[in-house]
Amino acid sequence: MATLGFLAAVTVGVAATVLGLLGAVGRAWTLAVPWLVPLGGLELALDPLAGFFLALVGAAVIPASIYAIGYVGGERRGVLAYLGFVVAMCVVPLAANVMTFVIAWELMSLASYFLVLHDRQAGASARAAWVYAVMTHAGLACLLAGMLLLAAWTGSVRFADWSAAGPGLPAGARGLALVLLGLGFASKAGVIPLHVWLPLAHPAAPSHVSALMSGVMIKLGVYGLARASLDWLAPAPTWWGAAVLLAGTVSAVVGILYAVVERDLKRLLAFSSIENIGVILIGLGAGLVFRAVGLGALAVLAIAAALYHVVNHAAFKTLLFLGAGAVVHATGTRNMNRLGGLVKLMPWTAACFVLGAAAISALPPLNGFVSEWLLFQALLQNTRIARLELNLVFTLGLAGLALTSGLTLACFVKAAGITFLAVPRSDAAARAHEAAPSMRVAMILLCVVCALLGLGPTLVLPALAAIASPLVGGAPLPALGDWLTLRVSREFAALSPLALTTALAAALLAPVVLLRLAGAARGTRRYETWGCGRILQTARMEYTATAFSNPFKRVFDFFYRSEKRLDIDFHPESRFFVERIEYGNPTRPIFEDWLYRPVLSALSVVARRARAIQSGSANVYLAYILAALLVLLVLT
Amino acid sequence: MTTASNLLAFVGLVVTLAIVWRQSWPGRLRLFAAQSLVLAALAATLGLLAARPRLLLVALVFLVVKAVVIPRVLRRIGAGMPVRPVTPGKSSGVALLVAGVLVVVAYAVMLPVKAATELPTEGAIPLAFAMALIGLFLCVTGRDAFGHILGFLVFENGIFGLALLATYGLPGIVEAGVFLDVLVIVLIMEAVVGEVRREHESIDEQRLRELRE
Repeated sequence: MATLGFLAAVTVGVAATVLGLLGAVGRAWTLAVPWLVPLGGLELALDPLAGFFLALVGAAVIPASIYAIGYVGGERRGVLAYLGFVVAMCVVPLAANVMTFVIAWELMSLASYFLVLHDRQAGASARAAWVYAVMTHAGLACLLAGMLLLAAWTGSVRFADWSAAGPGLPAGARGLALVLLGLGFASKAGVIPLHVWLPLAHPAAPSHVSALMSGVMIKLGVYGLARASLDWLAPAPTWWGAAVLLAGTVSAVVGILYAVVERDLKRLLAFSSIENIGVILIGLGAGLVFRAVGLGALAVLAIAAALYHVVNHAAFKTLLFLGAGAVVHATGTRNMNRLGGLVKLMPWTAACFVLGAAAISALPPLNGFVSEWLLFQALLQNTRIARLELNLVFTLGLAGLALTSGLTLACFVKAAGITFLAVPRSDAAARAHEAAPSMRVAMILLCVVCALLGLGPTLVLPALAAIASPLVGGAPLPALGDWLTLRVSREFAALSPLALTTALAAALLAPVVLLRLAGAARGTRRYETWGCGRILQTARMEYTATAFSNPFKRVFDFFYRSEKRLDIDFHPESRFFVERIEYGNPTRPIFEDWLYRPVLSALSVVARRARAIQSGSANVYLAYILAALLVLLVLT
Repeated sequence: MTTASNLLAFVGLVVTLAIVWRQSWPGRLRLFAAQSLVLAALAATLGLLAARPRLLLVALVFLVVKAVVIPRVLRRIGAGMPVRPVTPGKSSGVALLVAGVLVVVAYAVMLPVKAATELPTEGAIPLAFAMALIGLFLCVTGRDAFGHILGFLVFENGIFGLALLATYGLPGIVEAGVFLDVLVIVLIMEAVVGEVRREHESIDEQRLRELRE
């Protein structure tokens, strides 16, 4: 039964991919059923941007659903919610009026809420689902406010009418609508500081769902941001582009800083998703600024780079979550300090995870490298804008992106190294088993996609630029080089992924060949590993995830504000003998402490005050009614 | 016709004020039945003088429901309660004053309505509206569940009178629906009050406060 459900999801995924790709290359398609829902009816429309995100959803659903067949092993609970989640995500980019969009958006949130709640026994899941529900509905409230304002101002609930009427609205109104819609979409995308639900909800959900939430659901927040600022309210003002760029920078840096000190494998991936959303927003923000100052070709480049990173992140983050899911499935723990040595027990999973980690760390020749390289090239050309304050924003973005790239590498060296290398740190890790065949198939599929996206940017980028070009007011397609070499802004920069790959392979093979030529000995000598002179080598002597991240904690202490807790039990006879030492070094979350706690406590103070009118006496309640009636009668 | 409707509405208002003044519940119940009787008479008078035979039927139904059936149910609800409030010394002076203020308010609010209608009954419209407002006020000040229900019914009577005087009665189907609603509400309240009394051994407002938490 469950398998049938997931096969249905695969079918939906294939259909969505095909339809989405057709839309992305410019085939238009609309569907209107006016009687189905009130206020405008159901209305779907396919355009290049919608097609791109639809294809993205479909392409991620296929491997995730194949993986789920082996992962859930016939358990029926949650399959219906999963199907609803998949269908809702397909409808969101297609929605062409307010009602259709809100229904699909809310269905997506509700279905994922139930999936987060899947593990009902765990108290953490309940809390995660609660925070998720609150944040997602706060976001929905902002979205609804923005959409209803726009509907009131333009007199239409159809998105197409908004695009037409958008330029005629006063600047203040457009700014307000952008901020409201931006807040709503950013809370779904997990932009700092609206990210609090993300590191709770993603680990709590089953892994195939985490993969979809992280890989595509939060991208629909990006879709909304792009749609609002490039279509509905285009052309967006310069300050809005700069704000998106800065929000992206903050998200990227803060996200990866949290990821690098995280011990929970899936939480680490969740924080890394926040970072990647930040990277995407840097590109989107740069595109918006370029467009606002009239540099069309650069805007196309920046937005195409952002879209490229959207695809890439969907590919490698889905892969990494699926890999982490296989590890959790095999060992029953997400704590990296209890993992280790899995490369020998689950070689396929390890290979796939390491490839995904290399891709997300932007190592050539994989896909993450190409999109981040393009992003750097777009940002570096900010010198063509002659406004100091904008140049400063771009410089901050560049610095943030550079820092992020370095920290990402460290973060994923830790994630892959501590999890898969060395000796198992617990019995659970020592008894791990390789993932089921369907799970392996899904992961290998995604590895292939990562490699292809890394090798073929000369084919992918022109297609993305063709999607981006109409969004920035039909700027002419910039020349992007030939099939072998990617050229940015004529001679500004060039990259040939195929040549690079060949060179890398040659550099790896060269020592082997040279040693052969120099006549090195052929035979293999076997000898035990050097154990630093110790007699006994146990897992307790190994480097741990906590130890790996400690230098970062020290360097960025002002940000982590970590506390040191040292708890020592001395021997009753003498203080020179220690029975037990416990050392804790927890970080304190900055946004929870400084933003959410004050807001929440203020809210509860107001609520307590408001409770005074709830006396519990029926007389008083009735008196309220009489007073309200009299006031209304006298006033009107 | 103006004289008749003014007189009957005035009598209705006096009876309503008497409900505010009386403290013993059987007395208030009898006054409520009397108020219903006056309103039924008002409906019948209007039906005869304005040649609307439908209003005679309405008056009959109103008489049966409000002056016979509902008082009996209310008597069942009140059975076993002390006739007067347990705590003595509280006069109804303040309540009567407030009711008087409400009559003034009703006149102030209904002036534009009076000016807008052409019917001969327009002079009595504020009186009926005052009845409704005083009913709501009774509902607010009710000391127990019985008082609340009685207040609601007086309020409803006032609305009926208002509809009668302002437009010669609502359309038949609406009128029938309202009668049925009121009857059902009273029957449900009887069940609820019986349940509350069984649980808490009282329907006193002070004790019902405990239901809050």
